[in-house]
Amino acid sequence: MEFLNPTALFGIFLLPLLLVPYLVRRVPRRLVFSSLLFLRELAARSLGRPWGKPHLPPIFFLQLLLLLLLILALGEPVLSVRPLRIAVVLDNSASMQALEGEKSRFELARERARDLLRGLSANARVDLYLMVPALAQLGEKELAPGAAAALMGALAPYDLGDRMVDYGEELSRLVKEKGYERLFFFTDHPGRASGGAIRLVTVGRPRDNLAVTSFRIARPSFASTQQEARIEVTSFSSKEEKIKLSLKGGGKVLASRALTVGTRKSVATSFQDFPAYPAYEAEIEVDDGLALDNRRFAVAPPSGALEILAISPRPQALYSLRSVPGLSLQVVSPEAYERIGSEGHSVEIFHFSAPSLLPRKHALFVLPPIENPLVAVGGPISRPMISGWREPHPLTRYVNFALFRPPYARSLKPLSFGESVVESPEGAVAVGLERQGFRYLALGFDPFPYLGRENLPMSIFTLNLLEWFNEALRGPGAATGEPLDLSARAGEILISPKGEKFTAGESAALFSRTFFQGFYELARGQHKEIVAVNLQDAKESDLGDPAPIELKGEPAVSGSGFSLFAFWPYFLLASILLLFLEWFWSRPVAQP
Amino acid sequence: MLPAPFSADFINRLEALRLKTRKEFLGSRPGSYSSPRRGTSLEFADYRRYSPGDDIRYLDWGIFARSDRLYVKLFREEVDLFAYLFIDASGSMGFPSPAAKFSRACHVALALAYVVLANHDHVKLHLLRQGAAPVASPFYRGRHRIMDCIDFVSSSTPSGPVEMAPALAEHLKRLRRPGKAILLSDFLMPPASYQQGLNLLRALNLDISVIQVLARPELSPPFPRGGLALVDSESRAELQIQWSGELQREYRERLERHNRELKSFCHQSGIHYSLFVTDGELGEFVLETLPTIGLFK
Repeated sequence: MEFLNPTALFGIFLLPLLLVPYLVRRVPRRLVFSSLLFLRELAARSLGRPWGKPHLPPIFFLQLLLLLLLILALGEPVLSVRPLRIAVVLDNSASMQALEGEKSRFELARERARDLLRGLSANARVDLYLMVPALAQLGEKELAPGAAAALMGALAPYDLGDRMVDYGEELSRLVKEKGYERLFFFTDHPGRASGGAIRLVTVGRPRDNLAVTSFRIARPSFASTQQEARIEVTSFSSKEEKIKLSLKGGGKVLASRALTVGTRKSVATSFQDFPAYPAYEAEIEVDDGLALDNRRFAVAPPSGALEILAISPRPQALYSLRSVPGLSLQVVSPEAYERIGSEGHSVEIFHFSAPSLLPRKHALFVLPPIENPLVAVGGPISRPMISGWREPHPLTRYVNFALFRPPYARSLKPLSFGESVVESPEGAVAVGLERQGFRYLALGFDPFPYLGRENLPMSIFTLNLLEWFNEALRGPGAATGEPLDLSARAGEILISPKGEKFTAGESAALFSRTFFQGFYELARGQHKEIVAVNLQDAKESDLGDPAPIELKGEPAVSGSGFSLFAFWPYFLLASILLLFLEWFWSRPVAQP
Repeated sequence: MLPAPFSADFINRLEALRLKTRKEFLGSRPGSYSSPRRGTSLEFADYRRYSPGDDIRYLDWGIFARSDRLYVKLFREEVDLFAYLFIDASGSMGFPSPAAKFSRACHVALALAYVVLANHDHVKLHLLRQGAAPVASPFYRGRHRIMDCIDFVSSSTPSGPVEMAPALAEHLKRLRRPGKAILLSDFLMPPASYQQGLNLLRALNLDISVIQVLARPELSPPFPRGGLALVDSESRAELQIQWSGELQREYRERLERHNRELKSFCHQSGIHYSLFVTDGELGEFVLETLPTIGLFK
C-alpha cells in the first residue's frame, strides 16, 4: 500500500493532542445531592492530584480511530500492483521567484515536490516537467523518485510569464496521453475543482508588489538630439507605497526621483537631460515580493533620422512627408521594391500595395490590396464616421475624431491577431499589432498627402503613427521568451545576461533562449549591438491576485495496464459511520 | 382533593386495615385496642374473688361448682388509639425534588392517617424541621378529617438541616398520651443521631414504627464521570470529588451498610422497619409491604 499524499500522514503526530481534554481536570460541575454523609471519605481519596485520573472512556478510543481513519483517508492510500507513474510539473514562471520569507516560491515548490517523492516507493516512476516556455519533460523518462529529486536541484525559474494557454486542459491532455496515475502541479496559482488525477499544490501567499512596467528611451521629436526616459511604475500593493526611482546608465545613477504610488495604480514619469549611454536601466528601491520586476532595461534609440522606405504606385502623395522634420524618405514603386529590398531603412510604408509576407521591419499598410498578409479588406465606405477608438493609445493621442473624416475608407479585419485602434460603424479602419518585436499598422484610409495645419486631425494622426514607429525602434526592446532575429548576423557572438555565449549561424536564424531579462550583446569584433529584453507580463507582477487554474474535465486514472485500488473512499466512509456512532454515544446523559 | 395515588379502590382497601400495636395504651374512649385496664370487652383477662357489689352476671359458676368459691371473670377494656406520625421535613427530603420524595413520604403518611381515621382513632401529624417551635397538627378523628391532614402536609416544604433527636424532643415534650408512633425519614444521618431520636420515642413507651424513604437517585447516583462539586442539600457544604464507576460502587455499599445498621437497631429495639423507594407503587407498599412487617392487623 502506498500513499499518494504522504504529507497528510504527519497529522498522526497530532493525535496525542486528543488526550489533553481527557487528562486536564475540567472545572467541576456543581450538583446538589441529598446528603454527603457517605461521600466525604471517598472524596478525600479521589482528590489531591493536579491531574485527574486518566479517565479514558471507550469513546476516546472511538474518536482516536475516527481521526486515524480521516488522516489515512487524506493520505490517499492506494494498493498498486505495478509501480506508480507520476508526473511532477513545476511552474517555473517569473512569479515563482517571489520571496516567501527567506525562500522563493520555486524553492518551496521544489521542497514540497521532494517531500512528495520521498513518500513514494522505490518502484514508483516519475516524469519531471517544466511549465514555461513550453510544457516540456526534463531528463529521461520514468525516473526513480531519488533521481527526479536530484534533477530538481539544478532547476531555477525563468524570467518568463505564464503562457496564454489553459493549463487545466493542457495538464489533462498530458495525463491522458501519458497515462499517469497522478499529476502534481506545483505552482503559485490557486486552483479550482481540485481532485481526480491532477493535484494542484499551491505555494506562496498573496503579497504586495511594485513593478516597473514600462521603460523607454526615446527622442522627443524626430530631429531632436536629446533623449527622454519614460518610465511607468505600477503598484500591485494593497496600500500606498513610497518608492525611489533611479535611472542608471554606464553603471552610474544618472537621475533619481521619489514617487508615491497609490493602491493598484500606475504612475508614469520621465527624465530628460541625462548623459547619453548605449544602454539604460530603471530601478525602484522597494522591499516587495518580486525583485525581478523592480528593474527594467532599455537601449538608446538610433541617433539618426527615421529612415522610411515608401512603396507606392502613387508616389506624389507620399512626398508630402518630407515636410516632417527628422525623416529620411525614399519612395519606390512596388516593382522596384522587389528588386532593391528594404536594406538600410527602419520603417516601410506600403501605400496601395503589400508584400506577400509580413516584412521583418516595422511597416505601415495604407489601403492594402485584398491579397495582403495582415488584414482582410472589406467594402468601400464613403466619408466614414469614426465611432470608436482606443484610448489611451499613442496613435489616438490628441486626435479630434469628431473632425476626423477621411473621404474614402475600407473596413479591415485582422487575419490572425491584432487590435482595432480606430473603428467606424462598418468596422475597424485602423488595426495595429506587435509581433516578434516589430510593429505593424494597417489603415483602411489614406492619410496622405500630409497637409500639416490644413488637416490637423489627420496630420496629428500621421505624426502619432510616425512617433509610434519611432518609439518601436529599439526603444522597448524584446520581451523575455521572444526570439531574437539573428538571420543576418551569422558569425556574431551573442552574450546573454547570464554570461553565456552563443554563435549566431545560418542554421539558427532565431535565438529563442531569451529566458532571462537583461542586455543581450551581439558582438562582431569591435562592433557591439545591445538588445534589451524585459519581462513584459504584468500578471506575473500581480502577486496578490494570481489567476486561478480551472481543473475541469479531468481524466480518470488511466486503466491502461495499471491497477490501482484506492482505499481512501472506504476510510472516509468508515470515518463518517464512526462519527455517527460517536454522536449517538456522546449524547448528554440526563442529570439529576 | 385527595392526591392522585388515592383512588377509590385504594381507599376501599385502606378501610379494611387496622393499625397493629404491640403495647397496651390507656385510651380515652371505647375503641378496638386493648387497654391495660379491665373492662367490658369480650376478651377474657383474669379472675378475681367476688366481693359484694360485683355484677353477678360475671360470676364463673363453673369454678363455684368445683371449688365452692365465688369468682368473677374480668375482661379487657378496649379503647381507642392515639397515633403520632412524624414526618422528616429536612432539606434532604426535597431531593431530587420535593414532589419526588417529600410528597411521596407524605402520601405514605396520609395513607396511614386514613387507616387510623377510618377506625375512629386519633391521629396527629408532626413535622420534624428546623426551628424553635415544633410544627404539629391537632388530633384528628373521623374520616372527614383526612382533608385537614392533606392541608397540613401540603402547607409545608422540606428545607434546612434537622437534628433528629432535638427535633423529636421538642415534639415529645408536648405529648401527653402514649400510643403508636410512626417515623418517616430518609435517615441519611449518622447512626448516633437517629439512635438517639428513636431512644427518645422508646422512653415514652410508644409503639414505634420506622419507614425509611429514599429516592432512586440516592440509591444509585447518576452523576457524570469526572470532576464534580457536590453540594449538601441541608448544610449547603460543597465537596470536590472525582466521580467514577468505582466510587459509585463504594457509595452503594456504604448506603447498604448504613441501611442494614438502621434495620438492625430497629430490630433490636422492637421497632418496625420498612424501606420505601419513592419510584415504587404506593398501593403495593402500603397494602402488601407494611402488613408483612406487622404494622397492620
